[in-house]
Amino acid sequence: MLAKPGYTLRVIWACMKKDIKSALTERVFTIISVFVPVNILILLSLFAISGGQAPTAVVMNETGPYARQFYDSMSHAHSFILQTATASDAASLMQRGKIVAIVTIPADFDARIQQNQPVQVRVDVNNLNTDFTNDIRRAIPLSITTFYAKAFPELVTITPNEIDQYPQDTGYIPYLTVSILVVGLVLAGILQAGTASAREWENETIKELLLSPASRWAMIVGKMLASFVMSIAAVIVVLFVLIFIIGVQPVYWGEVIGFTCLCLLIFIAWGTFLGTVLKQRPAVIALSFGSSIPLFFLSGAFGPISFTTPAIQFIARIFPIYYAIVLQQHAFHGFDLNTYGMIINALIIAAYAVALIILAAVVLRRNTLAH
Amino acid sequence: MSKEATQVTTGTARIGGRAMPAIEIKDLCKSFGKFKAVDRLTLAVQQGEIYGLLGPNGSGKTTTINMISGLSVPTSGEVRVMGYDVRRNARQVRQILGSVPQETALYEELTAWANMDFHADLFGIPRKEKKGRITKLLELVQLLDRKDSRVSTFSGGMKRRLALARALLHDPKLIYLDEPTLGVDVQARRAIWDYILSLRDEGKTVLITTNYLEEAQALCERLAIIDHGKLVAEDTPTHLKQTYGGSVIEVETMKPSKEIDALRAIEGVKEVIQDGTHLKITTQGMYNIAPQIITILTQEGEIRDIVIREPNLDEIFLFLTGSALRD
Repeated sequence: MLAKPGYTLRVIWACMKKDIKSALTERVFTIISVFVPVNILILLSLFAISGGQAPTAVVMNETGPYARQFYDSMSHAHSFILQTATASDAASLMQRGKIVAIVTIPADFDARIQQNQPVQVRVDVNNLNTDFTNDIRRAIPLSITTFYAKAFPELVTITPNEIDQYPQDTGYIPYLTVSILVVGLVLAGILQAGTASAREWENETIKELLLSPASRWAMIVGKMLASFVMSIAAVIVVLFVLIFIIGVQPVYWGEVIGFTCLCLLIFIAWGTFLGTVLKQRPAVIALSFGSSIPLFFLSGAFGPISFTTPAIQFIARIFPIYYAIVLQQHAFHGFDLNTYGMIINALIIAAYAVALIILAAVVLRRNTLAH
Repeated sequence: MSKEATQVTTGTARIGGRAMPAIEIKDLCKSFGKFKAVDRLTLAVQQGEIYGLLGPNGSGKTTTINMISGLSVPTSGEVRVMGYDVRRNARQVRQILGSVPQETALYEELTAWANMDFHADLFGIPRKEKKGRITKLLELVQLLDRKDSRVSTFSGGMKRRLALARALLHDPKLIYLDEPTLGVDVQARRAIWDYILSLRDEGKTVLITTNYLEEAQALCERLAIIDHGKLVAEDTPTHLKQTYGGSVIEVETMKPSKEIDALRAIEGVKEVIQDGTHLKITTQGMYNIAPQIITILTQEGEIRDIVIREPNLDEIFLFLTGSALRD
C-alpha cells in the first residue's frame, strides 16, 4: 500500500494542507513574510529615489530663449529635480533643507550670450551631502556643454553620436526595482519555507514526521508547495507595487509570471534546506537577511555584473540570485545581461532548486535526535 | 512482501514455532563523544506484554527508545522490532510502531481532528476507513466533543490522551509511550493507565518508559531498571521485590535512639536511617530481625509504633543503583 504513487501524492497533499493551516494560525510569521519583501522594495526604492537626483531650485531672472534653453539643458542632465522659484523662495527652501542647490540665471543672460560676453551663473550649494554636491558639480558643466551644443552647434565641433543597444532607456529606478523584486522573492521564499521547516523542530512535531513511514522527499515537496502558496501573497503585493505604483511595465508578461514562479521555487527550496539544517526560526530569519542582502548587492542589482571586477563576477555566478536577476531584467526590460540565453539561465535556476530539494531530503533522512 | 513481513501481519509473529520477541535488543551502545548514553544493553520484550524501562533522568531510557524507533542511530549493537532490523527496515518498523513521545509532538495550532487526519494521511490509512477510525479513537479517549478545538487549548492530560489516540490510529502492533503521565493530574493519570491496560487486552505490545515507580508497578508485567545506560535488573515487579528486598521496619520511639550502631550490627540489617524519633530499618534475607530490634529499642524506652512492610520499588531502585529515582 505504502509504495503506491497515490500514497506519495496523499502525503504531499497532507503536508501541504497541514503547513498552510499552521502558517495561517501563526499570523505574526505570515504577516512578516508578506510585509518584509514589500518593505524591502519600498525601502530600497526610497533609498534609490532619494539618492538619485538632487532637488534644485532655478531662479529665472531672465526668461529669454537662451535662458529657457539653459533650463532645458539642466532638466535633461538626469541629475536634478528642478523647480523654478523666486530668489527669496529659493533661499527659504535652501534654509529649510528642502533643496540642495540654487542656480541663479542672471537678468542679462540672453544679452550677454548674444554679445559673446562671459556669463556667470551663480550656484549656491548646500554641501552637507558630498554625493549631492558632486552631482551638482558634475551636472552644471554638463548642462553648459549641452546648452552650447544645442544653441550654437556651429561652435561645438565634437558631439556624441549615441547608438543605443536597446530601443528604450531604462532608468536607474526601474532597473533597481526589478532587482529588488528578486530580493523580495528571496526573502519571501526563504522566510516562509525556512520558518515552516524550523517550526517542526522548535515545536518538536518533527517526531510525527520522522516516525511515519512516508518518504522524506514527499514531505519536503508538500512543505515546499505550502510555502509556495503562502509566498504568492507576498509576491503579488510586490509585483503590484512594482508595476502599478512604481510604474515599471513588463516587456514580457509571460516571462514575468513564469520566471517569478521559477525563482520563488528555488528560494523556497533554499529556505526548506536552511530550516531543516538550522532547526530554529530565529537562526533562519537572521541568515535569510544576512545572506540575501549582501548577495543581492553582489549579483548585479544596480547594473550588469560584467561592469564589475572579475572576483565579484565569479562570486555572483555561484549564487542563484544572479540568474534570477538576469531572468527578471529580461522579463521586465528585455535585457540580456549575460550570453547564456534565457533557457540556460532558467535551467540553472531549476538545477539549483532540484539540488536543494535533494539536499533537504537527505538532511531530513539523516536527521536523528540529540538524545 | 518478505516472509518476515507475512509473519507479522498474521497475528503473533513466530520464529520456528516460538513467539518472536516484539523487541529484541542485543549489545546496544550509543555514545555521544566520550559519553556512553547506552552501554551494551541487551533485553527482549515479548509480544502482548507491557514492558517498562525504569530509570532516573539521563539513565538512557529515551535514547534506547529513540534507537528502537529509528530516530537515533546506534553506535553499535542490534535492534529488531517484530523481527525487522530497525536500520535496514526502518519504514516497515515505523508502520508497525505507534509512538507517544514525551513531548506529545502534536500540532498545537491545529484541531484534534486535523492532527488525527494528518496522521492518517501520513500512515496511508484507507480513506473510506479514516473518518470512522478517527471518530472511534477520539471517542475512546473521550475527546470527540473537543474534536474541533485547537490542541493548544487542551490540558496536559487531554494532550496525552490525544497523542495516545493518534498513536493507535494506524493500528500498530507495538506502542511505545515515553513518560506517558508526565505532568498529568492524578485523575487523568488513572484514565491513561486504563487505556494502556486495555491495549494489552487487545493483544498489543506496550513499551513504557517512566520514572514513576507507582506507574511501573500498576502497569508493567516486566521491568528493566536502567542506570548509566546499563541494565541493572530485569524482572516482574513482584520478583524484583522478592529478589532485592527483604522487608522495611519503621519504628516510632519516644525519644531519639542512641543504639543505632547496635541496630546496624544485627545480621540481616542493611541500612538504618534515623530522623528524630523515626527509624527506618531496611533488612535483607530471611532473618527474624524484628524481635531483636524491639529488644534493643525497648531497653532505651517505650516504642510508640512499629510497622513491618515489604519494600516499594523506590527502595529497590535505591538499593540497586545507590541513587534515588528522581535524581
